Amino acid sequence: MIVSWNWLKQYVPLRMSVEELTRRLTMAGLNHEETFEVDGDLAIDLEVTSNRPDCLGHIGVAREVAALWDLELTLPAARPPEEGPPVEELTSVELACPELCPLYTARVIQGVKVGESPAWLRRRLKTAGISSVNNVVDATNYVMLECGQPLHAFDLDRLEGQRIVVRRPHQGETLLAINHRTYELEPWMCAIADARRVVGLGGVMGGAETEVSPQTTNLLIEAARFDPVTIRNTARRLNLHSPSSYRFERGPDPRGVDWASRRCCELILEVAGGTLARGVIAVGEEPPPQPKITLRLSQLPRVLGIEVPQQTVVRILRALGMEPKLQNGTVQVVAPSWRRDLEREIDLVEEVARLHGYDKIPEDASVPLAPVRTSPQEQVIQRVQQVLVAAGFHEALTPSVVDESHWRWWHPWTSEDPLCTQTPVLGRARLLRQTLVPSLLDCYATNEKLGNEQAELFEVARVYLPQPGSLPQEPLLLALVSQRDYASVLGVLQGLVHCVTGQQELTVRPAGQVVLSSRSAQLWLGQELLGYLGQVTPEAAKALDVRRVPVVAELRLEVLLQQARLVPRYTPVPDTPAMRYDVNYVVPSRTTWAQIKQVVQQAAGELLERLQYRETYLNQQLAQQGRKKVLFSLWFRAPGRTLTHDEANRLKAQIDQAAFRELQAQLG
Amino acid sequence: MSTTSLDDYLARLDQLQQQGLQRFAQCQTPEEVEQARVEFLGAKRGLVRQVQQQLKEVPGPEKPQAGKRFNELKRALEAAWEEAKRRVAEASPAQQQAKEKRRRGSGDLPPPFDPTAVPPEAQLRLGRLHPVTQTIRRMKEVMARLGFEVADGPEVEDPWHNFEALNIPEAHPARDPLDNFYLSTACLSDPRRPAPEGPQLLLRSQTSTVQIRVMEKQPPPVRVIALGRVYRPDTADATHFPMFHQMEGLYVARGVTMAQLKTVLRLFAAMFFGPEVHVRFRPSFFPFTEPSVEVDMTWKDGWIEMGGAGMVDPAVLEAVGYDPEQVTGFAFGLGVERVCMRQYGIDDIRLLYRNDVRFLEQF
Repeated sequence: MIVSWNWLKQYVPLRMSVEELTRRLTMAGLNHEETFEVDGDLAIDLEVTSNRPDCLGHIGVAREVAALWDLELTLPAARPPEEGPPVEELTSVELACPELCPLYTARVIQGVKVGESPAWLRRRLKTAGISSVNNVVDATNYVMLECGQPLHAFDLDRLEGQRIVVRRPHQGETLLAINHRTYELEPWMCAIADARRVVGLGGVMGGAETEVSPQTTNLLIEAARFDPVTIRNTARRLNLHSPSSYRFERGPDPRGVDWASRRCCELILEVAGGTLARGVIAVGEEPPPQPKITLRLSQLPRVLGIEVPQQTVVRILRALGMEPKLQNGTVQVVAPSWRRDLEREIDLVEEVARLHGYDKIPEDASVPLAPVRTSPQEQVIQRVQQVLVAAGFHEALTPSVVDESHWRWWHPWTSEDPLCTQTPVLGRARLLRQTLVPSLLDCYATNEKLGNEQAELFEVARVYLPQPGSLPQEPLLLALVSQRDYASVLGVLQGLVHCVTGQQELTVRPAGQVVLSSRSAQLWLGQELLGYLGQVTPEAAKALDVRRVPVVAELRLEVLLQQARLVPRYTPVPDTPAMRYDVNYVVPSRTTWAQIKQVVQQAAGELLERLQYRETYLNQQLAQQGRKKVLFSLWFRAPGRTLTHDEANRLKAQIDQAAFRELQAQLG
Repeated sequence: MSTTSLDDYLARLDQLQQQGLQRFAQCQTPEEVEQARVEFLGAKRGLVRQVQQQLKEVPGPEKPQAGKRFNELKRALEAAWEEAKRRVAEASPAQQQAKEKRRRGSGDLPPPFDPTAVPPEAQLRLGRLHPVTQTIRRMKEVMARLGFEVADGPEVEDPWHNFEALNIPEAHPARDPLDNFYLSTACLSDPRRPAPEGPQLLLRSQTSTVQIRVMEKQPPPVRVIALGRVYRPDTADATHFPMFHQMEGLYVARGVTMAQLKTVLRLFAAMFFGPEVHVRFRPSFFPFTEPSVEVDMTWKDGWIEMGGAGMVDPAVLEAVGYDPEQVTGFAFGLGVERVCMRQYGIDDIRLLYRNDVRFLEQF
């Protein structure tokens, strides 16, 4: 809302500087955007929140100024002489849809001379940022900017049957609006029609065929109330936003309709001449009276944390146009009709606080202490972040939506179709993702294109797995993308699992995922599928524009959380020495380390403290035999005593026997 | 018996010392150290032993001076040997083996020690947390000190939690499809297929939804913050992104006041940005708080916007089954990206979601 300094002065004496004015208005809720000079006047741009339609007119702002500085407000009486015939003889109004238009009023002025507005009127509109059209239209706009009530002037002689019918549009009806574009109307809209056709969209825009032109001599002045939701929907549907629709969406003073109509006629008589018909046609009903509100004075310190003196409360409410009645620690008021946002006790608390000044509220009140716990989930996420950052991974944050090709690429966690936003969120992306991996691969590809050598990334975020009939599941996943090889990433993940779960071991099973090559695995933690790890196939990489084939992994954080051991229990550290053996088995080539490990662990029993894979060796001769050599180390230790060589050798022999038997192993 | 002039002898000693020191310094493995010891300090055929024998050839009167210099040489090389032993013992065996293997294979000599060179395998490569995550962590840490625990809620919401319970009724403009990401179902098969029965879901437009979820679950007192992703239809530019993060705070109990709200926000700003920072309230309007305020904080010579706040509207308390006659509460919300960008001097929000490692590694 642009306020003219000179205009505002008509209603309230402005003895302060413009800086002081805008500062206090800002601190009272009318946020000052900027002030600029227009032909010797000052245009002050104020931001008006949607609950304060009263401040979408100069009088509303003047009321705030008067209340803040305790000044006298002077408002025009708006009592134009009615020297014409009774208005009922000149026109009639039929209201067919009172639910869309609770009140419609019409006045008639005969014999106007349409022409240019006088300089003062043009200047006022110019400062407020509205261009001048002609003296009649300018007068309607002036009154809108004065009191916030939009008005419309029709050329009465162009209204078929010289009458107004407020109704819903018929099927297929259109309106040629004053912007000379044709709009298709819908039955839920509120049309202003004459006897034959639609001549305007109530509160949104008038029609071209009945607009005021230089030839116009007789006017019908419309002042009405419209349903805010209908206005908003109409403006949105037709993309027809106007200062008028803006105000009707928020709701002007419902008791200010007649004043605005009289004021408008008064101005037209002044700037365009003519004779005002006697009386007004008003169809519809007056708004219900404002409710009586009781403010308990004790609520002020209860909500605000400060005492406000009783006299101050009374003074503020009175300055806002109310007549406060004090009674037993309460104040009773009825809010003025232009303040329909004031309905409840808490609304008055806010008014008192706002005008008393929020600067009176201290910033050093005492606040009780409270215990704060870090949830296990938070702690697990922190550990995940800590491990991966230490392992050289950068954390990425990627959008929660993907396009269809990314969704089709991989989504191992559900077979449901993805949720989808009605309008795309970013670019073409509108599917709520079901895996983080393609998003991370996008970042990987971006870094490749930027020539960044190392792009080791991870992300912890939710995915959205639909559940028919309820909100989707939103499990947290951890995904990473790396240029290291499979084993190095597995090593990182094993380290991560150790850090979160104590010493839980990952188990590895074949992955069987099309986007992953043979160097891939399902990772299990106990009985739970933790996630996937693997090298992306060259084709799958290419599909996402990735050149250097990476290793990716995606883990379910809930599994880590279930098995987390965030507060470990101490186990005694043995003092007795361990005995180490370096072992070297020749086994069939398809034998996995996991199989060897299992056989060794079973055969060795409890004295086996540690088992460490070292390397696998292959040469021509072994290859021809379909065998390979696996090297590993094992440590024996007996708690509380020193293990004898004999005992250790026996254990080693026991392991060898089992390996020969169950793995077809030979000593290398 | 030949004779050697003092000058010649001293020059020989100098040369031997230089040679020996260099040799010990280049040793990479215990074996190399041992070889060098035998070569220089070997009791029978070591070079030092040899040069000691040559001392006899120095003319008599000059012997004391030559002998003194010889002793210096011997001490220097012995010290170098000790130093080399210590040094290779400290180096990792794996590294030594690898180097030794390479050297033997190629016939290369061990390179001279360069104290300024760090080979790639020795470089410590640490990753970084995303700057938004770092900001969120700090916010959680600061708010924890102020007694606020972290709460969580879903990103896909129903209209009750995103709107109705927050005092945003059906007809409210904030519910317009242009301002929200409503979801449709099965858009892959047929985008026009109507949604099945049940409420129209949407991506949450604010973290205030978590307020409702927490209050529905537990009786007062409630003292939480919620941090997470929110979504609004904005075209991405330097200051807008359709996905961003918010921090929401909520404190509902008996006797919670606006003075406490101001105090908590001031302490938050002071802990985050510096002890001299102050806050002020400007009246504003939000459906779910009353009174509602915009919060500014001091910055350089003026004020900048920090976020929105207010006292929880009695209608919201009633919607979750709290009695507004028994409890009061405050709530506040602020944009994480805005704080993050101000703190790190980032001038384009899109940089945060591009994940260029040259950007990420700066934090």
